[in-house]
Amino acid sequence: MRVVIAEDAAMMREGLTRLLTERGHEVCAAIADGEALLAAVAQHRPDVAVVDIRMPPTHTDEGLRAALELRDRYPGTGVLVFSQYIETRYASELLAGGAAGVGYLLKDRVADVAEFADALARVSAGGTALDPEVVSQLLAARQPGVAALTPREREVLTLMAEGRSNAGISSALVLSTGAVEKHVASIFGKLGLPPSENDNRRVLAVLRYLGS
Amino acid sequence: MDQAGVARVRVIARAALVAPVTGRARREALFALAGAPIGFGFLGIAFGGALAIATAAGPTPDSAAWTAIWAPVLVLLLLILALAAARPLGGVIRWLAAWLLAERISEPPPLRTRHGLPARPGKQGWLAARFRDGPGWRATVYLLLKFPVAVFEFYAVAWWAAGIADLTYPFWWGLMRNHPPGTHLSPVPVFTPFGLFGSGTFRVATFPGTFAAFAAGVGMVLAAPWVTRAVVWVDRWLIRVLLGPRTLAQRVRDLERTRALAVNDSAAVLRQVERNLHDGAQIRLATLAMNLGMAREKLGADGDPSDLAAVRKLVDAAHQGAKDALGELRELAKGIHPPVLDNGLTDALATLVAGSAVPVKLTTSIARRPSAAIESIGYFCAAELLANAVKHSRAETIMLEAAQRDSTLRLTVSDDGAGGADPHGTGLAGLAQRIRIVDGHMEISSPPGGPTRICVDLPLRV
Repeated sequence: MRVVIAEDAAMMREGLTRLLTERGHEVCAAIADGEALLAAVAQHRPDVAVVDIRMPPTHTDEGLRAALELRDRYPGTGVLVFSQYIETRYASELLAGGAAGVGYLLKDRVADVAEFADALARVSAGGTALDPEVVSQLLAARQPGVAALTPREREVLTLMAEGRSNAGISSALVLSTGAVEKHVASIFGKLGLPPSENDNRRVLAVLRYLGS
Repeated sequence: MDQAGVARVRVIARAALVAPVTGRARREALFALAGAPIGFGFLGIAFGGALAIATAAGPTPDSAAWTAIWAPVLVLLLLILALAAARPLGGVIRWLAAWLLAERISEPPPLRTRHGLPARPGKQGWLAARFRDGPGWRATVYLLLKFPVAVFEFYAVAWWAAGIADLTYPFWWGLMRNHPPGTHLSPVPVFTPFGLFGSGTFRVATFPGTFAAFAAGVGMVLAAPWVTRAVVWVDRWLIRVLLGPRTLAQRVRDLERTRALAVNDSAAVLRQVERNLHDGAQIRLATLAMNLGMAREKLGADGDPSDLAAVRKLVDAAHQGAKDALGELRELAKGIHPPVLDNGLTDALATLVAGSAVPVKLTTSIARRPSAAIESIGYFCAAELLANAVKHSRAETIMLEAAQRDSTLRLTVSDDGAGGADPHGTGLAGLAQRIRIVDGHMEISSPPGGPTRICVDLPLRV
């Protein structure tokens, strides 16, 4: 996997670089602000970019702006937004153009190295990785339709939103794959998502959450 | 009477006995004396001028023309002079009040033309500006009222003078009154505020009689500070109302501005705290967690780890990260509220000074503790001024003084460095703003080449 890292805290930048290099990935560039990120992606065309939201010069949301621009210009490049806070609004903006190749994780998640690497790989491959925090915030917001879900279905939807497959969900919840499939079908039904050929419904279920 | 009542009476009695020898009594008496010439002088000159006009108008043959044309012109001229003189004289009174009464009244806004431009003699619109000058008129009114007030102030000083004089009677009686027996001596008058002139209030003819004078003196000296205080209180009030910049509306505007400063300042402080956490401890802890995560992965689920050296390095890094994060959190917490401040400013400043890179000579005399907010502002002022001195002044030694006098806490930071501190720079201007929020005041003297001396006055209570 070829990765570009945009993170202004040197400590974190170096740590991430080491972590990914040790796992056999190639870190093409590790830079510290949004403009450098766009330039680095243009130059290296990586599989995925890890982007901090708060970066110089304004330390507000330039990382997010850069990430949105990346999604626009290079749809094939996955973007994993990486921050110390989860803002629902940022999540909606990121997912507005579809949930493929998008991730939004708390920085804390690097503590679980393997999971973090998995999430990055998922995003790189065009999947989704949303932080459980995003999902719990959205559940707290009580989107219409979500209220009708049973607790178990919420759990399944939470994991689905994090970007896991049915197999991943079944192992996380210690359920049979069949049971998970039943839950997923029930969620689709309650959220009013018609059956279709591909897996897009999973993404749509997440988007339904976001009301976008 | 119960015990608490006895104790209270004792406290009051002691305060009454000590009052004549307090610094405050001395300063108020000095103020009563010092301000008087201005009050007498102003009215005297005005009166003299009017008299001169009247006499000049009198003997001229064509006195009707005089009265009709010249007298109003001269009166007008006198008024202009009075209005022009009132501002600087008011300034002198304000200075006296700040020095002796700790009554800090800010200067009224400068004279401006109708268009808000600074008005100077000779410039167009100066005369009109004088007549429209609210502060000038108010200062004139003050100076006219100062005359009767000064009379009373003089009277208050007479309590002191006559009282002290009366105390001396028994001491010189023996020296002066040692004439041979049979000599007829007229009795000596004793002066008190109830009979200051001529033959005095009563007269004494014998040595035992001088004790009556002495007793009267004791009474007067004990009462004098309170009489002075009462008269000076009236003057104080007049100064506040008439010599300050503020009508009520202006004060409201001022409070609105300082409130905005306070709100913005506290928001900025919170933002800074968040920023420090975000860029400091949080990122350190996240990195630490990452290092531990990587170490755990290298250790594997079971069996011997393949790369023990690498694990060791990661754990070392995590350990260092944990210590750094702790240090950073400690500094941050201290920056929000230094715990030692709970013991009072004296201890807090001693701790602050101990950590300074340049030696600091600290003197504190704080008998009455300021409120917590003032202590906190005072502490951070001192911290910032010290940091400035260390950073910019190239000073060899720094002096930090914190003194409470009456209802004011004064911090003075002086150094023997290069001077040239910029009052409009972000650091000092920001500090001045924070001080203004609590109606405090900062004075900066820092000529190029040094030395620098910065005085911060804060009220004891917000």
